[in-house]
Amino acid sequence: MGSDDWLTFKRDEFKRWMEDDRRRTGLSRAVAAYTSAKANALSRLPELEDMRREVRKIKEQSIQHMDELVKITMDSVREVKGEAYFARDAEEAREIVSGLVGSGKLVVKSKSLTGDEVGINEALEERENRVYETDLGEFIIQLRKEKPTHIINPSVHVPREEVAKTFSELLGKPVSPEIPALVGIARDYLREKFCNADVGITGANVVSAKTGTIFIVENEGNARFVSNAPPKHICLTGIEKIVPTLSDAFRLLQVLPPYATGVFMSAYVSMITGPSKTADIEKTIVYGAHGPKELHLVLLDNGRRSMADEEAFREALYCIRCGGCMYECPVYRVIGGAFGNNYFGGIGLIWSAFTTGDEKVAAAVDACTKCGRCKEVCPLEIDTPRMVERLKQRLVKKGFVQPKHEEIMKSILEKGNPFGEDERANRLSRG
Amino acid sequence: MPDSILYWKGCMSRLRTKSISDSTMELFRRMGIRFETLGESEGCCGSVLLRTGQLEAAKKTAESTVDRISSAGFTEVVTSCPGCFRTMASEYPVILGGAPFRVRHVSQFLVERKSILKDRLGSVDLKACYHDPCHLGRHMGVYEEPRELIRMVPGLELFEMRDNRSKALCCGSGGGVRSAYPELSREVAKTAARDQVPAGVKLLVTACPFCNYNFKDACSGQIRVIDLPELLLSAWRADLNGER
Repeated sequence: MGSDDWLTFKRDEFKRWMEDDRRRTGLSRAVAAYTSAKANALSRLPELEDMRREVRKIKEQSIQHMDELVKITMDSVREVKGEAYFARDAEEAREIVSGLVGSGKLVVKSKSLTGDEVGINEALEERENRVYETDLGEFIIQLRKEKPTHIINPSVHVPREEVAKTFSELLGKPVSPEIPALVGIARDYLREKFCNADVGITGANVVSAKTGTIFIVENEGNARFVSNAPPKHICLTGIEKIVPTLSDAFRLLQVLPPYATGVFMSAYVSMITGPSKTADIEKTIVYGAHGPKELHLVLLDNGRRSMADEEAFREALYCIRCGGCMYECPVYRVIGGAFGNNYFGGIGLIWSAFTTGDEKVAAAVDACTKCGRCKEVCPLEIDTPRMVERLKQRLVKKGFVQPKHEEIMKSILEKGNPFGEDERANRLSRG
Repeated sequence: MPDSILYWKGCMSRLRTKSISDSTMELFRRMGIRFETLGESEGCCGSVLLRTGQLEAAKKTAESTVDRISSAGFTEVVTSCPGCFRTMASEYPVILGGAPFRVRHVSQFLVERKSILKDRLGSVDLKACYHDPCHLGRHMGVYEEPRELIRMVPGLELFEMRDNRSKALCCGSGGGVRSAYPELSREVAKTAARDQVPAGVKLLVTACPFCNYNFKDACSGQIRVIDLPELLLSAWRADLNGER
């Protein structure tokens, strides 16, 4: 990157978002729907108040013992005849997953931020695999060759009229912008892919170490197909997702859906402990009955241990990825998916910096007003504005300084005000 | 000197929204409050530097500010700007280990003297709503004092923005955003004013020079914007035209 590239590309991205009425429409429809659904759910679930505090404690302890939990998880998964891998960075993760998939395969995927973080689709396509996103939102943006703009609802910026256009191109015939019909098109198109896929790739919302259980939370039912229909299931997830026990995981699972989408519980929670098996004939265990014969769990570091090592940023690992703070952020509401890089909103700035590098997110850090609303609405009360200020300090030391901020600093040091004004004319007032 | 308070204008109302500091001083005079300012040597609290990651420059600035205030003998500081208030009251203790004076926001200071305001404020016929500044509300927990003062204006009907107090929406100018991305700041303010102000409300009361400046800039023609001391002075002068 050139000296100002970190700044100019983001500035252009912000501008595109601000001027794009269709995206803004999609986003504001989603914000309105989310805020009312969440308010309703929270008012009917007073018990969440205690539970979210328990989850905070669970996450604090899990992150404190993260390395130990990684080891326990890998042992547990192997004990139930799964395979477990540790990937230090994005490149290692791509290598492990690509090695497991091979080439010329049909791959179905359910939504995975971690997959996007390491660029898994690109790596698999390079080896001539056909990769299909099956979450409806991800499917839409995959077809549109766009990037996700929200962690829970990746196509939040695409209104129904635009989805209809995209599907018309896919099918080569006109499609009407009725939402149920659009959902039907995706269902019909993807059904055959699920059944014929060689490999299914998912992420995980939680992993319980002691049992080696992977939890996948979803509403569409696509992750069930992905993790169940193909003969090989690969789960790629971050090491911060591990909690010690099943009970801990269940606590977290009760807090996530109301904050994520305003429902009491998501339609589907899949718990996967090892590959599919049967012992129905002569008590002889055979792996791969109706589900996958192989289960591979890839645990990713890619900056997470560095986050855990720095007291100033450790809290970011407590995030359960409900995505609520994004909808609630006044800046996200205006620039959406430009406010971050792969991870969005205030917390996303921290995550982006640690997992995908400073360059791509440094300019977005200066779009955060540090207003603190994200902390206020966070079920775990994560102090994101404080972390963003610390991140900014670090970025300044590395040279990511807005020219305007540099000017202001000089003016303050030289003239005592940020505007570069000579104040000698200002007389003393007294009352 | 020590029997006067120091009225700390802050850079914004000293140089950009002067009517806020002028109104505040006139209000203090009418209320018989003894105050002084540091005039041309007031300088900077360091808030902007802290928000934009310039920790060393912020420390240096804060140190010299504490020196100027305490060497002039002041023990009581009242600020117009919630950013200065938060920085001096809650961040000086962290970056400097404290400051030898007490700091309050003008709304806290005035609410303690509201008996002086009583019966002084002229009656209006006005629907207004109050915008919680992030630095005053969420960061410092001051929510009710400004509301109490606004309600003292006879005939003024106070409405709430859809999200208020700890859930209030930022105006978009904080954290160095206004200087880095002015269009974004304006867009945030415009969106907040459009989505958050109840129908029929024609006056937006701010308690922060930055919010005041940004809302005025972004929402001209959309809503009238006034800062808290301006409102009180205007009501005292009985020139707060309800029709505007």
